[in-house]
Amino acid sequence: MNKTNARKRMLIGYALVLPAFLVVMLTVAYPILSSVIMSFQDGKTGEFTLENYKYFFVTESQLKNIGFTLYVVVVTVVLAIVIAYLLALYLRFVKSPISRAIGTLYLLPRFIPGLVAVYAMITIIRDTGVINRIAQLLFNYDFKPAMMYHASGLIIMNLWFNIPFAALMITAGLGAIPDSVIESARDVGASRMRVFRTMILPLSMKDVVVAATFVFMTNVGSFTTPYLIGGNSPKMLGIALYDQFNRYLDYNRSAALSVIMFLICSVSAGIYIYTNLKEKEWE
Amino acid sequence: MFKYLNPKRFYFAVGKKKFWEFIVLAVFILFFYGPLLNMIMMAFANEYEPPHLLATEWGTYWWDFIFQQNSLKSSMIQSFVVAIITTVCSMIICIPAAFSLARFKYPGRKLFMLSFLLTNAFPKIGIFISIGVLFYKYNLMGTLAGVVIIHMITTMMFMVWLPSSAFRTVHPQQEEAARDVGAGPIRTFFKVTLPMAMPGIAVATLYTFLGSMEEAQGTLLVGMGRITTMPVEMYGIIMDYPGQAGAVFGVLLMIPSAVMIFLMRKYIGPDAIAGGFKMK
Repeated sequence: MNKTNARKRMLIGYALVLPAFLVVMLTVAYPILSSVIMSFQDGKTGEFTLENYKYFFVTESQLKNIGFTLYVVVVTVVLAIVIAYLLALYLRFVKSPISRAIGTLYLLPRFIPGLVAVYAMITIIRDTGVINRIAQLLFNYDFKPAMMYHASGLIIMNLWFNIPFAALMITAGLGAIPDSVIESARDVGASRMRVFRTMILPLSMKDVVVAATFVFMTNVGSFTTPYLIGGNSPKMLGIALYDQFNRYLDYNRSAALSVIMFLICSVSAGIYIYTNLKEKEWE
Repeated sequence: MFKYLNPKRFYFAVGKKKFWEFIVLAVFILFFYGPLLNMIMMAFANEYEPPHLLATEWGTYWWDFIFQQNSLKSSMIQSFVVAIITTVCSMIICIPAAFSLARFKYPGRKLFMLSFLLTNAFPKIGIFISIGVLFYKYNLMGTLAGVVIIHMITTMMFMVWLPSSAFRTVHPQQEEAARDVGAGPIRTFFKVTLPMAMPGIAVATLYTFLGSMEEAQGTLLVGMGRITTMPVEMYGIIMDYPGQAGAVFGVLLMIPSAVMIFLMRKYIGPDAIAGGFKMK
């Protein structure tokens, strides 16, 4: 290919990507930038101040919200990844009608509207829900799950959303490990445990990290689940942000909280990008 | 048949391995589909009092109730109009970008790719709030265009990343073969590249359409009550009416997803979806 041709190709490439990029710049990057500026401004005078940030780090209830959010998100990530990994191993290495059925069924929850899924889960876990009714019918015991307005309800719901997603990512990664490689290791005498520890686990680590960081990012700012299941205090940061904006009409503080949440996410986004861009060594 | 109802007998009848597989399947179905099935049951319950597990009186009372609400029809129409416009606009803007990111090499390519991750890393409400300020300036608050923009940015990442990974699975040799026998670049794209990348594009379209159908917070903030889609309506119904009304609305909201999944079932697979979360 000669030089002018390569130049032409480059220009076509830019021309095709530019409209979408401009939309993102205008509707996402620009608002984010103006949020960052606003978060350093005083609501009335517009002067530079750190008060908006200070508020979230000295007010006890706000500190609790940050801690609570991190707790819920970290527990969600750990549980979702462990369960999803087991599920993915099962789907990859057990070939049976049941595993094929689960292999299809686990794709669907991602396409159910979030609001509907949360509502459906509430009918199960609320104090007059299905769990309570089964306990009453079977054991004649008025068992209150007490999951509504509590961290456990939030985590259960997050697991519903994130296990299928994480399992999907990990299954796709495990699918890329050829059967022949595993069989040859078994042939020369490696035990199942050893094959798992020295081959399968390292080869699928990248997908585990990608799934974990993505789950982390999407859950920090979640809104629908905590809005319907979460309690009043402490609350998830998504709700705290909505309150700052909607109830207290404090735009500068909501901007500051957005930036704080963005910083929390960006730790995970950084790991996500790093793992994603790192080449697989065995490829 | 009844002997299988006894766990011990079942265990010995099907064998150890099968037994545990059935347990896995049962737990899986109960956790992931139990809530949805229970909601569908509730939608057809006129009365649903504790401690009964099933409806105490079956019927379609709450369906009639929901269909009598005047706002329902308009919210359904608005939901579909917004979702269709969003999907079409998103495809027009994003698929060329996806193709460019997959096929062309130029400086800044990874940066472009990363810029789409922004929509998922910054809290959505934060974006909506500051975009609101911008919208006020250009009179986009409470307009269809404003809501479409909001819906587009929530799913844009998938509309770029998923097709992009799909385009990458099409080997350039296949395109070259078409070019060699005399097809022009545009014809090659529509006859060779696009059909082969279809699974990824189909899943991305599905994401965008359903994402738009379920988006509520942004619509609430930017629609200002003038544009009310079905999820916005459902927030109100959940708060104001008994559980069955919400269940009926939930079933109504699931129908578009069910139809879309059925139509695109042959494209939905783990690889097509997982590709959208990786950059190369």
